[in-house]
Amino acid sequence: MEYVAKRCGVKFDPPSIVLVYEDGKTKKMRQRIMPVRNFSKFSDCSLAAERLKSNARHSAYLQGVSLQQLERLHGVLRDRLRGHTLEQSLAELRPDPDQDLNKLSDEELARRKAHMDVLFERNRKRKDDPDFVYDLEVEFPEADDRGTCSWDESEDGF
Amino acid sequence: MARGTSDLSELDQEKYDADERVKIICLGDSAVGKSKLMERFLMDGYRPEQLSTYALTLYKYTTTVDGKAVLVDFWDTAGQERFQSMHPSYYYKAHACIMVFDVQRKITYKNLANWYKELREYRPEIPCIVVANKIDADLKVTQRNFNFAKKQGLPLYYVSAADGTNVVKLFKDAIKLAMSYKQNSNDFMDEVMRELENFELEQKEETSDKEDNVSKEEKDQLP
Repeated sequence: MEYVAKRCGVKFDPPSIVLVYEDGKTKKMRQRIMPVRNFSKFSDCSLAAERLKSNARHSAYLQGVSLQQLERLHGVLRDRLRGHTLEQSLAELRPDPDQDLNKLSDEELARRKAHMDVLFERNRKRKDDPDFVYDLEVEFPEADDRGTCSWDESEDGF
Repeated sequence: MARGTSDLSELDQEKYDADERVKIICLGDSAVGKSKLMERFLMDGYRPEQLSTYALTLYKYTTTVDGKAVLVDFWDTAGQERFQSMHPSYYYKAHACIMVFDVQRKITYKNLANWYKELREYRPEIPCIVVANKIDADLKVTQRNFNFAKKQGLPLYYVSAADGTNVVKLFKDAIKLAMSYKQNSNDFMDEVMRELENFELEQKEETSDKEDNVSKEEKDQLP
C-alpha cells in the first residue's frame, strides 16, 4: 500500500477528518486534512462517510480506514454541529454496559447493535472456515465448581 | 391493547395441538443475540417469516425425534421485547422457552426475572432453558455461577452465537424438552383453557338450540 494509515481524527473548524499516515515511498509520517463539505446537523453520517471514502482526491489515502470509523468520526462532527460537547459524543461511542437498550429509539438501538456486531464478526466462525464445526459442544465446569458471580451480590435479593 | 403491534390472536395457533408440531419461544432483552442464535442453529437452511405487523419472526424447522418427523416453529421477537412485555398470544400454546441474556450486560441478566415472571403467568409448567450468550467476548464467565438459573431450578447453557459454542446442543435439547412436555403435559393452565373452551362451546350450543326452537315454532304457525 502506498499510504499506510496510522491514526484518524477530526478537526472542528472547519469540520474536517484528519489522517496521520506513513508515505510508503519516503517512509515519512504525514498529516492530511480532508474538509467535510455540504455537511450539516441533519446530514446522514454513513452517506457522508461513503462520499469521503470514494472521493477521487482522498480515496487512495483512506484505503486502510474502515467505513465504520469514518462514520463514527462524522458522528462526532455532527454532534458538534448539534451543540454537543466532545465528551458527550465520545461517551456515546463508549457505550454504558448498564444502559437498558429496551428503552432506546430505533436509530440508537441500531447504532448499538452495529457496535456489538464488530466483536461478533471478529469472533465469528463461518461455514467455510477450515476449523468450522456445526455442532460444537464444549463442557464447562459443573455448577458446584463454579465461583459466584458479582452480579448476584446485589442488594435487590435477585 | 396499547401496543405498537396488531393483535396476535388473529394468528392460527390451533395447529400446535397436532402431535407432530411444537412451538418454542425465545425471550430476553433487546440485542442479547436471540436472532443470531437462531440463525447460527439453522445456518443456510432457515426460512424466516417476518410478521412485522406482529413484531414477530417465525423460523420453521423440520427434524426427527425418536424416528418421528417433527415440525418446530421457533418464535422470535422482532422488537416487541422493547415494550418490556410480550402479547399473551406469544406465549399461547408454547411448549418450551429459550430465555437469553448477554454476559456482557448485567441489566439483561437482571431483567430475566421479569421475563420469567411473565412467562410463568401464561405458561406455568413449560420447560425453560436459561442461556448465557456471547461467551466468546469473555470466556471467564463460564467459571462463574449465575444464581438465577439455579434458584429457579432451570438448566443454564453457556453459548456463543459467534463461534457456535453449544448453540446446536441448546436447540436440540430445547426441541427434546418441548416434545416430552407435549407428550406428558397435564399443565394446569392447559386444563383451565380447555375447560373454558368447552364452556364457551356449550354456551354457543345452548343459544343455537333456542334459535332452532323459535324457527320450529314459526314453522308450526305457518298454514
